[in-house]
Amino acid sequence: MNKTIHSLVVFFVCSVMTSAVFASGFQLNEHGARAMAQGGAFAARATDGSAIFFNPAGLAFQTRPSLYAGTTLISPVSEFYGPTQLNTNQKSELQSQLFTPINIYFSYPIMEGLTAAVGVNNPFGLGTKWNENWAGKYLTTKVYLETFFISPTLAYQITDQLAIGAGVNYVTGSVLIERAVFTGAGDPRVSLDLSASGWGFNVGAMYKITPELSIGASYRSTVKVDAKGTAKFTPALSVLPAGDATTKIKLPAVAFVGLAYKVSEELELEADYQYNGWSSYDELAIEFKSNNSKSVAPKNYQDSFILRFGGEYKLDALRLRAGYLYDKSPVKDQFVEPMLPDANRNGINVGFGYNFNENFSLDFAYLLLLFNERKVESTIPEINFDGTYKSYVNLFAIDFGYTF
Amino acid sequence: MKALTIGVALLTAAIIVTMGGCTISTPNGPASNLGSQTVTRYVAIGNSLTAGYQSNALYASAQDFSFPNLIARQLRLAGATIPNFEQPLYGDPGNADPTTGKAARYELISLVGPVIGPRGLTAGAPLNTGLTRQYDNLGIPGAVIFDFLDTTSFTIKAGPPRNNAFFSLVLRQSALGKTILAQARALRPDLVTFWLGNNDVLGYATSGGVSPSAPTSAAIFAALYAQAFDSLRASLPNAKIVVANIPNVTAIPFFNTLGPKVKPLIPPGVYLRYQKHGNTSLAFDSTRFTEANAPLLTLTGSAYATLLGANTGKWYRDKGILPPPAGIDTTKPFGFHPQNPWPDALTLDADEQVVAGAAVNAFNGTIATLAAAKGAALVDMNAFFTSVKANGYSSGGQKFTADYITGGLFSLDGVHPSSKGGGVVANQFIKVMNATWAMSIPMVDISSIPSIPVPFGKISGNGIPAIPASSFKDFDWLWGQSN
Repeated sequence: MNKTIHSLVVFFVCSVMTSAVFASGFQLNEHGARAMAQGGAFAARATDGSAIFFNPAGLAFQTRPSLYAGTTLISPVSEFYGPTQLNTNQKSELQSQLFTPINIYFSYPIMEGLTAAVGVNNPFGLGTKWNENWAGKYLTTKVYLETFFISPTLAYQITDQLAIGAGVNYVTGSVLIERAVFTGAGDPRVSLDLSASGWGFNVGAMYKITPELSIGASYRSTVKVDAKGTAKFTPALSVLPAGDATTKIKLPAVAFVGLAYKVSEELELEADYQYNGWSSYDELAIEFKSNNSKSVAPKNYQDSFILRFGGEYKLDALRLRAGYLYDKSPVKDQFVEPMLPDANRNGINVGFGYNFNENFSLDFAYLLLLFNERKVESTIPEINFDGTYKSYVNLFAIDFGYTF
Repeated sequence: MKALTIGVALLTAAIIVTMGGCTISTPNGPASNLGSQTVTRYVAIGNSLTAGYQSNALYASAQDFSFPNLIARQLRLAGATIPNFEQPLYGDPGNADPTTGKAARYELISLVGPVIGPRGLTAGAPLNTGLTRQYDNLGIPGAVIFDFLDTTSFTIKAGPPRNNAFFSLVLRQSALGKTILAQARALRPDLVTFWLGNNDVLGYATSGGVSPSAPTSAAIFAALYAQAFDSLRASLPNAKIVVANIPNVTAIPFFNTLGPKVKPLIPPGVYLRYQKHGNTSLAFDSTRFTEANAPLLTLTGSAYATLLGANTGKWYRDKGILPPPAGIDTTKPFGFHPQNPWPDALTLDADEQVVAGAAVNAFNGTIATLAAAKGAALVDMNAFFTSVKANGYSSGGQKFTADYITGGLFSLDGVHPSSKGGGVVANQFIKVMNATWAMSIPMVDISSIPSIPVPFGKISGNGIPAIPASSFKDFDWLWGQSN
């Protein structure tokens, strides 16, 4: 067994050697290995702590205190061919990076039917890094976005079949943006380092129509994030607005609807629809205090969705899982840029869980996100950077659960 | 534990199957090519714009980004079998200012001001003189349309009145061909870019309509251009020829920088008193730069703009016009008093703007007609630079404007493109070539071309570029073909 794990480690370290982007828009949907291995189709069951993300109502059916925690290793690979007007054969590769969003959930039944829980996870994030002197250096050389959602949640079981849940989300995060500034004279670099916070809420409901069939729905609100920080320019020319900088970002609302069916004592299947209200992200407007100027990058994202299918097969203490997802990009063709080389994608999920005893379980999941090749030919003048993006992402998650 | 082992094994197998090896296949796209065309030799004919003249001088590190050199590079990427594209390289920091004997090249010396001008460096020397054939880049700074077929010896052109040593630098010996055409023909090119005529109006405009006092007349230009173009086509019947027309002179920062900086310096109730065309004495007109057809002040006036309101006759002393013309009183406030007006030579007034504009229109009419008649492709540089002036030009996150220094497109002399500007110009040619002959020549990557070097620090002061007046003598001789 050790040998097998060793070769797995070698395999993932190898794939990590490649490079950096994640989920459609800058969303992250991997918040628990059990859900992830089933294509993220989990809102109608939500049987572990990740219910805080997928459907808080699911907590009400969890009758024992439990801790569920883990991480996802994300290794994106992206290549850009272009700009088309330069040379279709010219290839730029995203620099290799490894991202490790976390998830920690603790739930505790306070009294019959009422469960309290708290979770910490990273529902939005992004990281891209290109060569300092690549053809798109005036658009982006490095972006790193990280958000932490801290979500105290309550769930209540109204009847044997019906439960509801709700929570608040305190959001804290940071953004780092680096690129070359085109001044006509020289190539100063800007480094924009902002930190942000905001509040949101989430609600959910779950209904067990029959012992075999259940339906779940949840909604997480938009979060208005106020970011503040500093802009640093190298070299510092007075025409460049060094110093305080601020921006506002409205993180999109997300809704899930799922339907789960227990085919047999061993097999459960689920299909989910996830709605992402990305039209909230219409521009990235950074205001510079020193000269009251504003740098506006139009984004004009559109609302998008993810289709999720997955299931679990029980084999003694082992749970074998698999799934598939289709994730629709919220970025319109003319707004595609190397800061976030987005495209529609198909995800193939596999994984397993093992219950060591009454208390302790371990879950593994692997997701391969295959991006459709995206050729953009008419980017807006602010971008004017046409070409073809090809990307895939390896995601590997591990979570351990302890039920008291 | 057996079950766990099975699970791990299954997962590993699934991963290996789904991964199918971690590679991304190259997307299918149009590869660079020349279509059904071949290019075995490319020759560029033109003036300073073709030569890669930049920031008031010709020097190798700018010539490297001359638009013809960039086009030659892109042609090779598309499969052209052209040999080395040979240019009359001038070692950095480039040619000497004929007055000082030091390097003429402008640099951004200080951001305080800003201060722009020659650094007083020892001039460079021509580098590529051992070449036993003609240069592929036959761009000659200062050349007018007349020069294309002119057989006057190169050394005579280096003396008065033209004082233009670039004919000797570029064409070298008459054994290689007595005219630009002869040298171009000898190379048997199958691709020619031809961009002449700019100086037939630029000399007039940059000298504030003084020297020469009129652009080349439309009729003479038409005759000279037709003669030039007929001979070119007759010499190279099968060559692909690309011509570019003449951008309107008022689209360049040389004319649009100083006026807006001077405007806020005029006290309330006071006017800038300036001489109009042909005026050498009392001011003929006044402005606060609020009217629609306000005069344009040339960049040459930078050194005098800071003297506005002072009781000075510096301009006359610098020009050697002593004593100043009758009616001028240099004890009156310079520029603000009708008896000590802003000089005609530093002003392109409304009438002169009309004259220059009419010349450009007439020249471009001739060029368009001849290009069509002789089967040449036409690059509408006038439309391009007019649009740049109005809307700027964006590429991969770089927003160019027609602004001086910060606009990125023009070099420090405010007339000639910067290195990045050379790339932008090259791309205009490439776009037309691709469209005309169904070629897929890749565009120049402008983001990889260096910007104007900037000293560390901050731009401060009144923003009037402090350019030593003496350094503009180059401008006089570069275009002063008539005197």
